[in-house]
Amino acid sequence: MIVPTTVLGQRAGAVPPSDRIVMGGIGIGSRGAYDLQSFLAQKDVQFVAVCDVREERREIVKTTVDRHYGNRDCVMYSEYRELLARGDIDAVLIATGDRWHALLSIHAAQQGKDVYCEKPCSMTIAESQALAETFRRYGRIYQAGTQRRNAGNFVLAVELARNGRLGKLKSLHAQLVEGRSMPAVPSHDWLPAEPEPSKLVVDWDRWLGPCPWRPYNHLYVQGRWRNYFDFHGGSILEWGSHTADLCQWANDADDTQPIEYVPEGTNQGPFAVRCRYANGVELVMRDSGWLGLGTCSVRFEGEDGWVETGDTSKMEGSDNIREFLRPVSDYKEAMHHHVRDFLNCIKTRSQPRANAQVAANSHIVCHAAYIAFQLGRKLVWDPAKAEFVGDEEANRMRSRALREPWRI
Amino acid sequence: MSLPEDGLVRILEDPQASVFQKAKACQRLAAIGSKAAVAPLAALLADPQLSHYARFGLEPNPDPAAGEALRAALRKLKGSLLIGVINSIGARRDAQAVDALARLLDSTDTEVAQAAAAALGRISGLRAARILEDALRRTKGAVRSAVAAGALVCAEGLREQGERERAMALYQTLMRPDVPKPVRLAAMHSTFAAETSLRRAR
Repeated sequence: MIVPTTVLGQRAGAVPPSDRIVMGGIGIGSRGAYDLQSFLAQKDVQFVAVCDVREERREIVKTTVDRHYGNRDCVMYSEYRELLARGDIDAVLIATGDRWHALLSIHAAQQGKDVYCEKPCSMTIAESQALAETFRRYGRIYQAGTQRRNAGNFVLAVELARNGRLGKLKSLHAQLVEGRSMPAVPSHDWLPAEPEPSKLVVDWDRWLGPCPWRPYNHLYVQGRWRNYFDFHGGSILEWGSHTADLCQWANDADDTQPIEYVPEGTNQGPFAVRCRYANGVELVMRDSGWLGLGTCSVRFEGEDGWVETGDTSKMEGSDNIREFLRPVSDYKEAMHHHVRDFLNCIKTRSQPRANAQVAANSHIVCHAAYIAFQLGRKLVWDPAKAEFVGDEEANRMRSRALREPWRI
Repeated sequence: MSLPEDGLVRILEDPQASVFQKAKACQRLAAIGSKAAVAPLAALLADPQLSHYARFGLEPNPDPAAGEALRAALRKLKGSLLIGVINSIGARRDAQAVDALARLLDSTDTEVAQAAAAALGRISGLRAARILEDALRRTKGAVRSAVAAGALVCAEGLREQGERERAMALYQTLMRPDVPKPVRLAAMHSTFAAETSLRRAR
């Protein structure tokens, strides 16, 4: 019998099939396509399946995957449970709209899959908690798509905050999307009703998933679902899931959340939510007043100095730390490092940087800020009890009933 | 929608109000609804278009009347609307619904039975544990998988309630080779975590 060298992994750089991580993708749209390319570039990944409620999307992803491998093996599904039921799939990439993120991640873990999921990872505080609980319970690996946790410039900024170069930390600043392009709190409106297309083309019921029913309009499906309350967490979740997350890390607070949330400004911007940790450090989530170092900027201020960076990879800082502002890698490489972190952890069963518990805590910060902004008043949060102190209305906003038959 | 509760209730009761208006009223009542909102919301539980919105309003309402309304709906609804109500009861961790949920484990609608198993798991407690353990012996297929997953969550709840021995026994049951693999592995994982926890009884 002749065994090809690829099977044995003997060709230079080749990974034998038995050592590859077999993956499927769910809801691969524009952002998902970028994620997909990062996974396809990894030699120890074999992408074998795609699921989408849109026929067009299924075909596009299958074509991309098949072309990459030079075969026709990528299997298409419109029902995600069929994909998750496949015993040969180790991990899934989830890049649907936000409304599906937590639910699909949880269902995937319950089927024994490891998960890489785009952000924001949850629609509510309750979903964030359920996400962390499920991945802990099932012992699965989860990586949130908060790739700045593996971007050289952001990692360096966090290190400077944590290693004392900035002195005792005073305040952490997290950039939000500018209110004029994305309000803090989205609209409650519905777009005008249009006739529903065939389920084969777009399954509208499945597109809505756990969200409240509303009449079909093609704009939602074509990507205009953002800025609607039922589907989206507004500016605060859109970028806060990245930037507040980095502030949590800088404050060595990955296992907790701030205890106070004070909203400022107007919904169309400028706006901010000023938060305070139990250790006295302030977290300011704001949409304006940045140095212009790129999207998703963060700024860390201590008693002895400050540092600010963003997606341009440029870093600015006080005179005393300027000599250290040489990140080992560019932000453009973040996605590769983040995906590698996930894949390596699948093999070692260790926790990646944006694991479920870390992501849950960061998202709870964002949701708490979001609720404070919605209510327009200061809220006090008890991280141990995961509840607002003395505010029943806010506490009732920690969760939302999911549309039948969905549950977490 | 900034109307006070009575204004929102009037929208729910107004036959001329649009689906959109009623939907938004339900969503606002989720945050501010009292006992007064329960009956008008419950009246929508059988409405295919608004049932979810009604649960949206009822699920976080801390008034006992909301729990009663959801439990009463268990006897009236079928199919996906019944599943929604079961899910809301599970989310509320309503221990008073345990017996009714136990009966639904035997529903001929397997999706209803699966929802009941999940809800019993979330409610947890010694009685729910007994019911799920019994169901694990007699159910098959997708229902059995849901029962096993529910029992896993139930065991975790037992640990939180201080019923460690009972929880560990339930994990043992779930480690049997005929239990679906993800749950079996999770039970092993949970056992290991519990046995090595610094907070364990020593």
